[in-house]
Amino acid sequence: MAVDMTMPILVVDDYKTMVRIIRNLLKQLGFDNVEEAADGREALAKMKTQRFGLVISDWNMEPMTGYELLREVRADEGLKATPFIMVTAESKTENVIAAKRAGVNNYIVKPFNAQTLKLKMSSVLGEF
Amino acid sequence: MAAHETAARVRDALETLKQSSVRDRPLVEVLSLSHQLAETMQLFFGSLDRSVQGEFRYIGDFIHKARDEIAGLRPNDIRNNRIPMAGAELDAIVRDTERATETIMSEAEAVMSLSVADPEAYRAEVEGRMMTIIEACSFQDLTGQRVKKVVAALRHIEERVDKFASALGVNDSDTTESPEERRARELLLNGPAIDGPEVKQSTIDEMFDDAHGDGISQGDIDSLFD
Repeated sequence: MAVDMTMPILVVDDYKTMVRIIRNLLKQLGFDNVEEAADGREALAKMKTQRFGLVISDWNMEPMTGYELLREVRADEGLKATPFIMVTAESKTENVIAAKRAGVNNYIVKPFNAQTLKLKMSSVLGEF
Repeated sequence: MAAHETAARVRDALETLKQSSVRDRPLVEVLSLSHQLAETMQLFFGSLDRSVQGEFRYIGDFIHKARDEIAGLRPNDIRNNRIPMAGAELDAIVRDTERATETIMSEAEAVMSLSVADPEAYRAEVEGRMMTIIEACSFQDLTGQRVKKVVAALRHIEERVDKFASALGVNDSDTTESPEERRARELLLNGPAIDGPEVKQSTIDEMFDDAHGDGISQGDIDSLFD
């Protein structure tokens, strides 16, 4: 099935610059419908009111981390099917394993480039 | 008279008294025994005085030494100058990098949205904006110098504290985990690794490869530790 290029994507990061970078990369990839949240709590609140086709989240945020957000999303019947990609500087083995076990769809280590983002999005959403 | 000799004499006198009624003993013997007892007590308390005095002298010397070491630590200099300076430099680093990033991002976004209808105008516009980006990159030089100052301040503090701890023979005490430390441990908040990612993107990719299914095998985990 073709990927819906108009689907809303939620980018969760407490650094505005990183949100801006991801927004620009998504725009280059053809995705213009991007929403932002500064931490997991804000993201979760947005997810309760709007359906997103993909969540791209940082790990280390306050007050709710991306890891906590992932667990909340996977524990919620209405949200559990939302594709979730972690984009983070947390590159320890324990982090990757924990995220995988919590149900993350893919994991990108910062710094990253547009090609990596495209590849991971394709593996989660399908080719576009 | 030595303490042990006095004690022996008191012991002998008491034994003698035990073996006979006190009433039968001449007054002079009782007086002698009282005198020996008084002598013994005097020696005992005298030794106590000297011991307590020695302890107080030791404590006094220790406090004096600690005061000298604390003065050598120059806590006022650290509190009033070095730590505020390091904090100000770090703030400046954040400010400089934010400003440079803002400039670079804005210029790049502007280039991406330029119209190519007029190639000459497009080229001039791109070159102008590229020059602005190059100029903005000069923040790196300033940031490097600021970081060196912060590192120097931290080294200074480290050396002083280390010397202070060695002089006073201080060992690290057991500490209880703070709520922040506990949260960081439980939520795996490790932060960026010093020399780049600990696990390479290619290794992570293998873990998420479809061939591996949804679960993580022990082999996946083992390969991360190889």
